[in-house]
Amino acid sequence: MAVRAPAARPPAGGSPQGRRRAWKEGALGLGLVLPPLLVLVFLIVLPAANAIVDTLTPDPAVKGLTPMLYARLLGSRIVRSDIVFTVVVTLVSVAVTFGLSYPLALYLRFARGRLAALLAVLFTIPLFVPVVIASFAMITFLVNHGVISTVLYRLGVERFPPLVYNATGIVLTQVWASLPFAVLILGAGLQAIDDSLIDGARDVGAGRLRTFGSIILPLNVTPTMIALTLLFINVFGSFTIPYLVGGNAPQMLGVTMTNYLTQYLRRSEAVTMAVMAFAISAVVGAVYVLSVSRRERGAA
Amino acid sequence: MSPGWFWAVEGLRRAIGLGAFLALAAFILGPLVTLLLWAFAGSWLFPNLLPEFSLKWWAYVLANGDVTKAIRMSVESAPIATLLSALICVPAAYAFARLRFPGRRALLLSFLSANAFPKIGLYVSIATLFYRLNLMDTFAGVVLIQMVNTLLFMIWIPTGTFRGINTNLEEAARDAGAGPLRTFFQITLPIALPGLIVAVLFAFLAAFDEAQGTLIVGTPNHITMPVMMYTLVLSYPQPVGAVFSVLLSLPSLAFLLVAQRYLRAGYLAAGYSL
Repeated sequence: MAVRAPAARPPAGGSPQGRRRAWKEGALGLGLVLPPLLVLVFLIVLPAANAIVDTLTPDPAVKGLTPMLYARLLGSRIVRSDIVFTVVVTLVSVAVTFGLSYPLALYLRFARGRLAALLAVLFTIPLFVPVVIASFAMITFLVNHGVISTVLYRLGVERFPPLVYNATGIVLTQVWASLPFAVLILGAGLQAIDDSLIDGARDVGAGRLRTFGSIILPLNVTPTMIALTLLFINVFGSFTIPYLVGGNAPQMLGVTMTNYLTQYLRRSEAVTMAVMAFAISAVVGAVYVLSVSRRERGAA
Repeated sequence: MSPGWFWAVEGLRRAIGLGAFLALAAFILGPLVTLLLWAFAGSWLFPNLLPEFSLKWWAYVLANGDVTKAIRMSVESAPIATLLSALICVPAAYAFARLRFPGRRALLLSFLSANAFPKIGLYVSIATLFYRLNLMDTFAGVVLIQMVNTLLFMIWIPTGTFRGINTNLEEAARDAGAGPLRTFFQITLPIALPGLIVAVLFAFLAAFDEAQGTLIVGTPNHITMPVMMYTLVLSYPQPVGAVFSVLLSLPSLAFLLVAQRYLRAGYLAAGYSL
């Protein structure tokens, strides 16, 4: 989003009156920002901090921090394989989504005509479908004796690997649900690249690949980082898709921690897994915030 | 110019383009069309290409007391979450856009944190806090969990909107003797309205479609429509889930229709690239 800095105004703070005005403006600004900030602290900062402290001090009798809960969970082979499974499924989903969305965004940026116009509408459709519905729709589409299976049967194919209730189903549904996000973010970045830069490169004899590699790709780095990080966090922290479309074991971490919390009633283990998820995606989350910050500054 | 003789064959290039388009269309529309067919299916036996049509499952779904309860819960909680966040966020967005105060940039960025955490981990952490505060399985808890998703939209989209408005107009109004409040309500707000509407719609959909957090916090007595879907998908015949899916999609469809005039690609990108 092109969030521009406010128009420059004469610097306040020269005269005593100016200083008082600046002080009043600052107080008013903070006052207006305070209510949503308190909600944010209550809903995000406090729970996250609380979770970290709680899981590091599981036994009130023991003083200081102890990684006991983490050691115990990581000692479980099932939890370890869930973590590996989550990371692998996330990376594959991000790679496939990105691999589909970059060409699509490029096509939509440069192509003209009816097909492009149609495509521009088509790819946004999953945005307006709640993830629960998307998962269910994907099941009816991919399940054994579902539509794909019927079409393949009619074509004479009777044996094929199962497409749902396993990692394949999770990846396909994640790609379906996140494609529009990725295309929109990448597309907004591509839109911001001036046509004259691209024409200029081609005028001096750069081919398509060269133009892409030395003009388009480097100018679109920040949106690319935003798309990649956001995709990673969304898939990594998902519950609905792996819960409905995934298999029984191994499961993604989101499903495992929810089961620990609501089915097995083992809250401290569930929160420990939540903090592990925070830790694994912390760097990605930081890169996301930094990239959005950079894009915002770039637009100023 | 082109990377090889291959692409020079115009017809082949077109065919590949069309093939890719059709594959993408089948991938995106296929599951939705299947779902829609199921919603009007009495039964659908393998390997028939089309189901046997019937409306009997609609009557079944609409007569189900749990379903109507879930519809009511959704219709009550999502608007409240949206309204509350609009109430507190729009003035804050104005401050972010127009006023100078210490820490402005860092505070604005801090609202991105809802996106920077893996959601399910956040919900599990919130749940443990809610246990202590007796907010589990309460209406307030459900509204709060929906606000995790609405704050971001209601801060960032309006901030961008307010910043996009030329200050000259406001200054002219002030010069003509209008007070700050009058200037805001008569000049700034009307110009900002389309952006604010888009923010409200995004926030509403985020609240209305929230499932995983509400499942954790609202179970067993505060079940919204998306949470109900989990049960319907897992333990009812296919057409029941399909009928309910169509019902659950209605707000999104209405959103598309209402928002069409505001939904230039820029706004969509603004909302979803957060």
